[in-house]
Amino acid sequence: MSGDVLIEVRGLVTRFGDHVVHDGLNLEVMRGEILGVVGGSGSGKSVLLNTIIGLKQPDGGEILFEGRRLSEMDREERHALETRWGVTFQYGALFSSLTVRENVSAPLREHVSMSPKLMREIADLKIALAGLGVEARDKFPSELSGGMKKRAALARALALDPDILFLDEPTAGLDPIAAGVVDNTIKELRETLGLTVFLVTHDLDSLHAICDRVAVIADKRIAAVAPIPELLKHSHPWIQEYFKGPRGRAALGG
Amino acid sequence: MIQGQRADIIIRHEGAKTVLEPHGDWTVATIGALDDAMRRIEQTADPAKLVVDLTHLGRIDTSGAYLLGRGLRAASNPDADTHFQGEHATARRLMREVARRLGGPQAAAKPAPRSDVVAVFARIGAGLEEVWLETIDTFGFLGRTLTTLGRSIVQPWRFRLTPTVHVMEHAGVNALPIIAVLSFFIGAVVAYMGANLLETFGAAVFTVELVGISVLREFGVLITAILLAGRSDSAFTASIGSMKMQQEVDAMRVLGLDPFEVLVIPRVIACVIMAPLLTFAAMIAGLFGGMIVAWSTLDISPAFFIARMNETLDWSHFWVGLSKAPVFGLVIAVIGCRQGLKVKGDVESLGLRTTASVVQAIFAVIVIDALFAMMYLELDI
Repeated sequence: MSGDVLIEVRGLVTRFGDHVVHDGLNLEVMRGEILGVVGGSGSGKSVLLNTIIGLKQPDGGEILFEGRRLSEMDREERHALETRWGVTFQYGALFSSLTVRENVSAPLREHVSMSPKLMREIADLKIALAGLGVEARDKFPSELSGGMKKRAALARALALDPDILFLDEPTAGLDPIAAGVVDNTIKELRETLGLTVFLVTHDLDSLHAICDRVAVIADKRIAAVAPIPELLKHSHPWIQEYFKGPRGRAALGG
Repeated sequence: MIQGQRADIIIRHEGAKTVLEPHGDWTVATIGALDDAMRRIEQTADPAKLVVDLTHLGRIDTSGAYLLGRGLRAASNPDADTHFQGEHATARRLMREVARRLGGPQAAAKPAPRSDVVAVFARIGAGLEEVWLETIDTFGFLGRTLTTLGRSIVQPWRFRLTPTVHVMEHAGVNALPIIAVLSFFIGAVVAYMGANLLETFGAAVFTVELVGISVLREFGVLITAILLAGRSDSAFTASIGSMKMQQEVDAMRVLGLDPFEVLVIPRVIACVIMAPLLTFAAMIAGLFGGMIVAWSTLDISPAFFIARMNETLDWSHFWVGLSKAPVFGLVIAVIGCRQGLKVKGDVESLGLRTTASVVQAIFAVIVIDALFAMMYLELDI
């Protein structure tokens, strides 16, 4: 893990009407790390993710990518950037009219020139990498269970072999074994491909198992960013409760 | 995905061995062009004798590892050291991971589709069967609606007034302007065409009867029904369908609420009540349109128009038209609700069901109107 900053969030302000979600939020994502983002429900974890990937315009502040302001990039630069990241959404967000294989092929079809046959094979590979069985390939999203949808979404996010993965609760709703497989996949991919992973999660086991650092959103900004052992010593009451509560202790004690 | 150096492959033959020497970056962005070359090698070379020389390989990702390792995977031990030369930071590890995740042989292809002619007949047959099954199911749904309705009458406290009034406002009152305007124009067009034609016989005054009978018996109620089908029926399907998608309907069942009672009955009652009222408005608007045209083109004054209508037109025309309205309202609401409850979990089925709902509703309205026409003809009304 090298020490350079890949993504920098500077003084981010997010508002929904009168409701302020982020107020001067700062965060740095290092190249090659797995950064976990935690926070109470409604603290704006997913909103932060959506803002970084440009789905939501910040109401104040800046997002910098490799030192370049996202807001100053032109269309082509943005386009090139978008092929470098893979995103999964909280509810899968698979295209409901396409089969799993077609879902995974969609980004390939759009951005890469290769024969349909190879495209199919690559799509099948990504499906296998995400831990989905052969039988799921020709199914439509509506025929999949919740956990299978998550993995199909992960397969689609991996389609272009991205540098950066943004994962919004990739293990929520999965059984512990499947969640472990997803955790392992993420870790494996990071190690072999040098991926940077931005992981929004509530899964304490994931946090412990794979995150290099954990960022805690509290009081509308990042209360702390540190590896978990350091976070445990942090005095913020929410952090104490989160990691030292019964569930936090169970995951830690393991 | 990173745009990198171009990928290339050089093939050397060293004795019995075939040595693959990948050059440049083997990533998802670059490997597209190499697929054919790799396939040719895979077909000709013996997998056991394949050797990959990693010395000149640049970056590699999982897609590149897939392509590079594809031929090797047919070998008995793809990860054996004899298959590799040179060193690379990640390539062997990635290839091992890819092979492990892909596991055994790939699934067989799907069975070939049947020949074209058979397929055409099969589709026609399936379509006809679908129509038949849909018809039976619609009647089943109608029956269930009526029994639920009956229970609501016996047990009036089960009846939900607020949603009913809400639907009456949205499906009924809000549709009033568009229905009135359309009927006005239809009445005007009928009068215009009638006036042109009848004037050549010197029988222009019969325009009054033409407008009166056609608007009262048919157009008023048909315009209302078709607009209800297009406007409210689709809304019923879409709203119930999205509730179905969000599992709201399942939640109702679990909580002991009957979806028929909560969702279907209010809409059915609202439509049955509002359809005659809207039809009445449509009739008035249609007659008014006819009257305006008769006045402007034939010099038939409104006073004369009304007097002549009173004189020559029987009230039965009005009642015939109005009697059809509640039936149409019932049919439209039943079809809309049924299609809504048929929606499955995905967006596509919502679209399909909404389309089917409008098509079936308009089809049913016109067929039932024809049946009514035959019935009233036999009854001499």
